[in-house]
Amino acid sequence: MTAPTIEKETPVIHEPSKPFPWLKVISYVILVVVAILYIAPLFMLVNASFKSLAEFFKDPISPVSDLNFENYTNAWERANFSRYMVNSVIYAAVATAVFVITSVFVAFPIARGLVKGSGALLTLYVVALFLPPALIPQFQLILNLGVYNTRLGYIMLFVVNPIGMIILVNYIKSIPRELDESAAMDGCGYFRFVWSVVLPLIRPAVATVTVLHAIGIWNELILPTIYLTNAELYPITRGLIVFEGQYGSDWPGLAAAVLMLMLPMLFLFILMQRYIIGGLTAGAVKG
Amino acid sequence: MAVEVVKKNYLFGGGWKSWTPVFLLLPGFGLYLLIAFGPSLATAGYSLTDATGVRGAPVNWIGFDNYDEFLFRGLASRDNIAALNRTLIFSFLVTTVQFSLGLGLALLLNQRLKGRTFFRTLFFLPVILGVVIQGLMWKLFLLPNGGPVSEVFGLFGIQSEFLGGQPSEAFLWVIVVQIWANVGITMVIFLAGMQTIDEDLYEAARIDGAGGWNLFRNITWPQLTPAINTNFLLNIIGSLQAWQLFLVLIGYKNGTQVLGYEIFAQGFGQTGGVSAAFRQGFAAAASIVLFVLVLVLGLSANWFVNRREKKYLG
Repeated sequence: MTAPTIEKETPVIHEPSKPFPWLKVISYVILVVVAILYIAPLFMLVNASFKSLAEFFKDPISPVSDLNFENYTNAWERANFSRYMVNSVIYAAVATAVFVITSVFVAFPIARGLVKGSGALLTLYVVALFLPPALIPQFQLILNLGVYNTRLGYIMLFVVNPIGMIILVNYIKSIPRELDESAAMDGCGYFRFVWSVVLPLIRPAVATVTVLHAIGIWNELILPTIYLTNAELYPITRGLIVFEGQYGSDWPGLAAAVLMLMLPMLFLFILMQRYIIGGLTAGAVKG
Repeated sequence: MAVEVVKKNYLFGGGWKSWTPVFLLLPGFGLYLLIAFGPSLATAGYSLTDATGVRGAPVNWIGFDNYDEFLFRGLASRDNIAALNRTLIFSFLVTTVQFSLGLGLALLLNQRLKGRTFFRTLFFLPVILGVVIQGLMWKLFLLPNGGPVSEVFGLFGIQSEFLGGQPSEAFLWVIVVQIWANVGITMVIFLAGMQTIDEDLYEAARIDGAGGWNLFRNITWPQLTPAINTNFLLNIIGSLQAWQLFLVLIGYKNGTQVLGYEIFAQGFGQTGGVSAAFRQGFAAAASIVLFVLVLVLGLSANWFVNRREKKYLG
């Protein structure tokens, strides 16, 4: 007898009920499953890098019990990683700087139509994406210039990037022409205009091509395999593959080494994600 | 081509000053011709020679002999044709799966979900890590004895040697890693495309009572055309040219090689023999074969997407 009265005193409020969000729940389930495929290999790598060899062979996937940084110090010293890291930084920094500086002075006149056949010039960069790989003649060129197995020869291979050029040209087209006119009126010279007016204005595009180009150099494996035989000149990717050849079964050591190669890229990616993704999708979604 | 200044567009002074843009353009453009464009074209020339990797060694003109050898001569040519077929299979599987998965993930992440930035970043991450890290990470992940995938397969009673197994099995795992590594870029291109679609189109259709599938079929799919075209072409061309994960994951192993790997291995003595020669002319011919394949399939795909675009966007 009491139950109905209580119900009457506190009537159930009927909110406009939302349907259960099935779509979202299913979406999350799928996303989490896929995410596991991305997190698990990474987790395995980090976990293995802290294990001793014996511990790893007993059970490669058990969570590590005590953190063991020896693998890192070992890889750093035994595998000459400090040297490789310095090489990688030199190659990426010098080649990217040369590429960006020379390219701005190609991209600006093409974007503005300042030189005859600007359209044709741009086409030369676009078709590069479909042409046969330059691998063989490039090797003959480097060999015959006598810069095989030198830093200079290796850096030369990375001072051009057609996709980067196209990104720069497209971005410069969005800078209003009135700017050129007023600068010229004020008596500003061409070099100074491009260098100290245009360059700061196209910073987002420059950031994008700089990061994409540097990442490409950092990750390159085939060209150091072909062009560098002197271990003193190896970049870190090549060093890692050599390390794998020598200590192939030392997975904890290899895992530590892989993580050391990965960390700089990880930081760069997290800082510059907007520019990287923006650059890679620019032009891809317009008609 | 003579590079010359267009006077009417140039505002920064007459006389010798009007040549400044040309002088400043030459270093960048010259390097491009010397290092990328020129060598690319020269591949065709080298394919008709017996060039080696020795500096100063005589280079002889041998006509189409390299092509004849590559495509028609003896047992080795049968392996080359097999590599060509394998390249097509690899490209077909990678393109279809990566395209569909990338589209699916983009659709999921285009909703208002908590953590969507996290998921997007995570799926894109391998793209910037490069083949060495991608490959070594998966070698560890696919460890045959006691590795995580091996353990999970064990629960279902499946035994596998993974990358060290039969050629066809190893080949399949490379496809898996290739897709895992690159689906992120397909996804972000689709996402960027979806963000350009006008939300009002969906609102109007919803008022008319359209549901999920109808919204996708009649709005998202046609409106996504530019991103679909880009991804389709990029996936086809990219997968035809991809081979570096094979190098890191399984090395030069019979029954798994694709054309790109064959070019590198022949040209730079990486075929596994003790003193394998640098067969640069031969590798150049193989490069041209791959180029023709890319061109034919790329142009067909381009024709196909253009026809589709006309249908949807007029």
